Amino acid sequence: MGTNDQKRSLPHGLRLVALAGAATLTLTAGLATPLDPAPQQARAADDGKKVLTVAVAQSVDSLSPFLAVRLLSTSIHRLMYEYLTNYDPKDNHAIAGLATKWEPSPDKLTWTYTIRSNSTWSDGEQATAEDAAWTFNKMMTDPGAATANGSYVGNFRKVTAPSPTKLVIELKKPQATMAALDVPIVPKHVWEKVSDFSEFNNDKSFPVVGNGPFVLSGYKADSYVRLKANKSFWRGAPKFDELVFRYYKDQDAAVSALRKGEVSFVAGSPSLTPAQAESLKGADDIQVNDAPGRRFYALATNPGAKAKNGEKFGDGHPSLLDQRVRNALFRAVDREAIIDKVFRGHAVEGEGYIPPRFQDYFWKPSASQKLAYDPAEAARLLDQAGYKKNGDGKRVGKDGKPITYRVLCHATDPNDKAVGKYLQEWWGELGIGVQLNCLDNVTDPWLAGKYDLAFDGWSVNPDPDFVLSIHTCGALPATPKDTGATDNFICDKKYDELYARQLTEYDPAKRADIVKQMESRLYDLGYMNVMAYPNAVEAFRTDQIKSITTMPAKAGNIYGQDGYWSWWSAVPADSGGSSDNASSTGVVVGIVAGVVILGGLGAFAAMRRRATAEERE
Amino acid sequence: MTTSTGTAPSPRALARQRRRASVARFWRQYRSERAGLYGLTALSLCALLALFAPVFVGSDVSSVTEAPGRPMQSPSAEFPLGTDQFGRDLLGLVIWGSRVSLLVGLLAAVLSVAIGTLIGVTAGHFKGWYATVMMRITDWFLVMPTLVLAIALATVMSRSLTTTVVAIGVTTWPTTARLVRAQTLAVETRPYIERAQALGGGHWHIMSRHVLPNVMPLVLAQTTLIISSAILAEATLAFLGLGDPTVVSWGGLLQDAREAGAVSAGDWWYLVPPGIAIAVVALAFTLCGRAVESVLNPRLGVSR
Repeated sequence: MGTNDQKRSLPHGLRLVALAGAATLTLTAGLATPLDPAPQQARAADDGKKVLTVAVAQSVDSLSPFLAVRLLSTSIHRLMYEYLTNYDPKDNHAIAGLATKWEPSPDKLTWTYTIRSNSTWSDGEQATAEDAAWTFNKMMTDPGAATANGSYVGNFRKVTAPSPTKLVIELKKPQATMAALDVPIVPKHVWEKVSDFSEFNNDKSFPVVGNGPFVLSGYKADSYVRLKANKSFWRGAPKFDELVFRYYKDQDAAVSALRKGEVSFVAGSPSLTPAQAESLKGADDIQVNDAPGRRFYALATNPGAKAKNGEKFGDGHPSLLDQRVRNALFRAVDREAIIDKVFRGHAVEGEGYIPPRFQDYFWKPSASQKLAYDPAEAARLLDQAGYKKNGDGKRVGKDGKPITYRVLCHATDPNDKAVGKYLQEWWGELGIGVQLNCLDNVTDPWLAGKYDLAFDGWSVNPDPDFVLSIHTCGALPATPKDTGATDNFICDKKYDELYARQLTEYDPAKRADIVKQMESRLYDLGYMNVMAYPNAVEAFRTDQIKSITTMPAKAGNIYGQDGYWSWWSAVPADSGGSSDNASSTGVVVGIVAGVVILGGLGAFAAMRRRATAEERE
Repeated sequence: MTTSTGTAPSPRALARQRRRASVARFWRQYRSERAGLYGLTALSLCALLALFAPVFVGSDVSSVTEAPGRPMQSPSAEFPLGTDQFGRDLLGLVIWGSRVSLLVGLLAAVLSVAIGTLIGVTAGHFKGWYATVMMRITDWFLVMPTLVLAIALATVMSRSLTTTVVAIGVTTWPTTARLVRAQTLAVETRPYIERAQALGGGHWHIMSRHVLPNVMPLVLAQTTLIISSAILAEATLAFLGLGDPTVVSWGGLLQDAREAGAVSAGDWWYLVPPGIAIAVVALAFTLCGRAVESVLNPRLGVSR
């Protein structure tokens, strides 16, 4: 693997493409550098280590499992620490993790977990029930440690470890998620030295002690995350020796790196663009995996941000407090066009809150409930709500001013901008202005409630508890200054009642039924309008990765799974095939563009020469 | 100075006559600069295209909901330059985009030169501590990397055309200020300035009536030259995603292309036309600027 010639033969074409791309923008010469491959040790180091390199773009928010919520960070925690239970890669049902067995008492209020005795921390110590008990107790007693996963332990009365292999959790009320506690169990002997859990990011001393399939061995913010295989992992050592998440903030650069073999896998952020997928499909030794995603892509409206203490803050448009207005806005969104034009078929039209991939919980509105695309009906709803058009054809708010909504969009997500352009025209027809605020950092205005609408999306777990919990009143921040677990400040009594009921329902079918009612409620409220379920479009090199587990096994994704299956199961290919003509089209394009530009320069030079002919001696 | 005597041609008429003559002389000399003529022709074409874009293509061209084609179609008879990620006609978009690129380029250049001239003339005229302070500020802006400063400005302000104009304008003025100050110092040593002062001409009078007209040619040439870099800067900022995403501009088109993955997909028709358009217009302005400079600057004229 990793012969040098393939590295050397391709950059040239790339540089030309970059030239054509930046198209002689002399000022932006510096921009070509991200496309310019830095000489790096790629996947095969000299000592024959097998390295799996994954191109990522999302920054790590924290490497502390008590703080991290982003997809990349939580995926890394899956690799570093064992959870009590895991999900089966084939069909998502709960299977053994650190716990081998779990059973409730007859009253369903006491759960006893049997902890396996063959899992050791990477510093040699045995992983025991005591570690798990300490982790949960810490989250229950220290608010700083409950930041990320507090919703799991809110209902715990007491957690004890009577013996090293026995963990007992006592509950206040029955809780349905007891076999799906997505909480990384950390080693007590390491973590009890931490003083402030809300500050500690777990990124100072390496390797970080863990018991998952990989051990975190290095991290540099926005540069790389390096993990070494844990050879003594109880389920079996991973086949690759090292796993590196390398940062490519530019997706085109990541795709180029994949073409050259510098990285083995690209997930894209959040996925490859249709054009990229299309072009990679034809490339040698590259396989494109286009799987139904576990994400939803929604348009969230600001319901008037408020804190748990009742204090209101932010400056969401008052008209959005009217459900008719919210529904009207969504009725003017042509979801089919979004699927067809923006995602170009790499997505499924949005219905309920939970993607169809999770069949048990998937809900879709009936024909009469559905807020189908109907601009005429939308206009009627707005008229009915009292937002009539003025002489200029603009709808005016109660304050007499024309309505213009500020739509918060992620500057890093091209889909946001593209859909934003459509919204501008669809809602423009309705007489409503749209101001697209595309920011690199949407968190600040978001948490401050300073937006009207926002593009939103979450990855959904096999157990939907978490994504449901972020819309409850309990998730609101304590005061306007705090940060809550809430997604966009939704607080609805009826929804909360249903949420509490589903959490205590042990019968899967009945629970699923309640979850569907919640989705229905959320749909009607119109605070969370799901436009699409984007596919996970990712690509990997078949000459570096021989096989890799998708989840679910049939038509599943690879990056960001619920579990460590993909990276743990990845089998290295024996030898690196060459990929000489991988970007031949790029080279051709580059050459054509180069010739055009050189021709232009030549003509110019000739012209200059003629112009000064008289003056030359 | 403005008292009119009753005799034959009034000073006003004389001044008009003189100006007409100098414009004619300017044009005669400019015509001998062939590169300048090419630049001027290219510019006029672009300006006409931009002005009459509503007639040729219409504002519908930027509509995503009424896009005529399929996304990312390669060039064909129907779409000579192919289509973009929304299925919009790229030829139309490139023509439509010229409006924003030219407008922002011109406004930013005017703003930059206005700031530069103001600081240059006053610093050259007042000297002393004022000049020192102003020149140190100029130096500070001069050593700051322009692009980085513009990016910082564009990031903290809301994304709009005004932001782009301001971000470029307030970061590119120092060279103009330096040039104008040097010229001001040279002009102020001339005897007639001293005479004007002796006759009671105040600061404002000297600066506006005697210095400004004399530095004007320099300012004009400088404006033409700065426009090209302002257009490039606008394209750069838009390309970096710091422009208004809802406005079609050349840099914005390149940014769209990059985000749609056109670079790695090899969809050259999305990238090359806006790139070439930027290069051509920037080149045309540079050619014109050089020509104007060599006509107006006597020293350059002698050496050639």
